[in-house]
Amino acid sequence: MSGPYRPSMPAAWYLRTQPYRVFMLRELTSVFIAGYLVFLIVLLVRLGQGYEQYAAMMESLRSPLAVIAHGLALAAAVFHSITWFNLTPQVMPIRIGEEQVPGAVVAIGAGYLPWLIVSGVILWGVMR
Amino acid sequence: MVAALVVPALVVATGLVLPWLTEPQTQASYDKLHAAVTWWPLRAALFVVVFLSLFHCAHRIRHVLADLGLKGAPRLLAVLCYGAALAGTVVAGMVLVRM
Amino acid sequence: MPDETITLEVFRYRPDEAPAEPAFDSYEVPYHEHWVVLDGLNWIKDNADGTLSFRWSCRMGVCGSCGVMINGEPKLSCASFLKEYYPKAVRVEPLAYFPVDRDLVINLEGFLAKLRSVKPWIIRDDVDSTDDGEYRQSPAQLAAYKQHSMCINCLLCYSACPVVGNEPDFIGPAALALAQRYNLDSRDQGNAERQPALGSQDGVWDCTFVGECTEVCPKNVDPAGAIQRAKVSSMLNWYKKMLLPWGQR
Repeated sequence: MSGPYRPSMPAAWYLRTQPYRVFMLRELTSVFIAGYLVFLIVLLVRLGQGYEQYAAMMESLRSPLAVIAHGLALAAAVFHSITWFNLTPQVMPIRIGEEQVPGAVVAIGAGYLPWLIVSGVILWGVMR
Repeated sequence: MVAALVVPALVVATGLVLPWLTEPQTQASYDKLHAAVTWWPLRAALFVVVFLSLFHCAHRIRHVLADLGLKGAPRLLAVLCYGAALAGTVVAGMVLVRM
Repeated sequence: MPDETITLEVFRYRPDEAPAEPAFDSYEVPYHEHWVVLDGLNWIKDNADGTLSFRWSCRMGVCGSCGVMINGEPKLSCASFLKEYYPKAVRVEPLAYFPVDRDLVINLEGFLAKLRSVKPWIIRDDVDSTDDGEYRQSPAQLAAYKQHSMCINCLLCYSACPVVGNEPDFIGPAALALAQRYNLDSRDQGNAERQPALGSQDGVWDCTFVGECTEVCPKNVDPAGAIQRAKVSSMLNWYKKMLLPWGQR
């Protein structure tokens, strides 16, 4: 009499269902964000080194490669933010007495609205 | 959380606004930006953003790599990921202090 | 036999045969609009192949016995209507990420051990005498944990969770959600006793918030949400222990 049958986990399990694929994409955004943060640190280094180094970096930021890289980073960052805020009500359910505050309210109040405000402040600051 | 709130706008700032919508090549604009970053509250904010975001990314990248199959040396993986985040944080801190 | 039939491709594993190779057997089952997959399986057992083994009981979605994979999705066979799939064939397999004892019957021993490890019962330091009356709870206190108490241990969440598949020691969605159900219960004082299991590497920290467990749960328990909240309280617990080592609960 044989024992139980134990199927093995497929190596590319994350490609098998749509939810798994979306999950993997969501997690991979962290690679792009980490890459952007490294770039940001380099930018700060150049800023501290002086006018010439900073200007040279700004010049390179106008190259097609920089534009594409920023485009990818933006897509990843936005996807990351949207998935994060949509999950916030699940992580932080707010209850008033017996009633639960609707998920959309939490997502907007603790997520999308602060995002809008912070983004506005940053962009206004940089425009000056 | 911090990364989700701040990074998209920063990407637009450094990818679109700074190179294309302002005149970064002028000494005046450089001085303005440099002065702004020397302002202590902004220096502290930048440090916090970089520090928290780097560690958040390191944590998720560590798990992604394990999910993709790199499960042979979990301790080493953790050290590499968080170590890289720590290195980035230290560099950012040094740069910001000396700005 | 009505004119309309539907094909059920059912996973078979017969450990009493040698060699015991898993295979799929195809059955032409009569199609009725109101039939569920469980009706099809019972028809097979009664009319086509009496050796087919599968679990079922209440046939109305409250006992948690009949979990199977239907076309790759974890579902209750009593809650999956044939008309959702007709006229295409329906593939029925045992719940994913579990050892299979026979046909559609999975081995539950691992899960039961994990469930016991989180101590899913009311734990009190001081047990009041019954002469003092019952432990009272306001509707708001009940609402704090009620959602997570609806679990029927059907294990669909385990079959949806890739971490369960990748990390065999992961305690898993249902057990962790039930631990949280007790931690949130105002009558319970057992948080500290559950922390070693919850806060371990096989506990909440193995979860990467894929969220599929919540999607497949037939009782809306939201195990993913329960686990994320347990992560927050596990972390706060750890900080409290580090910063204020005296006066622990």
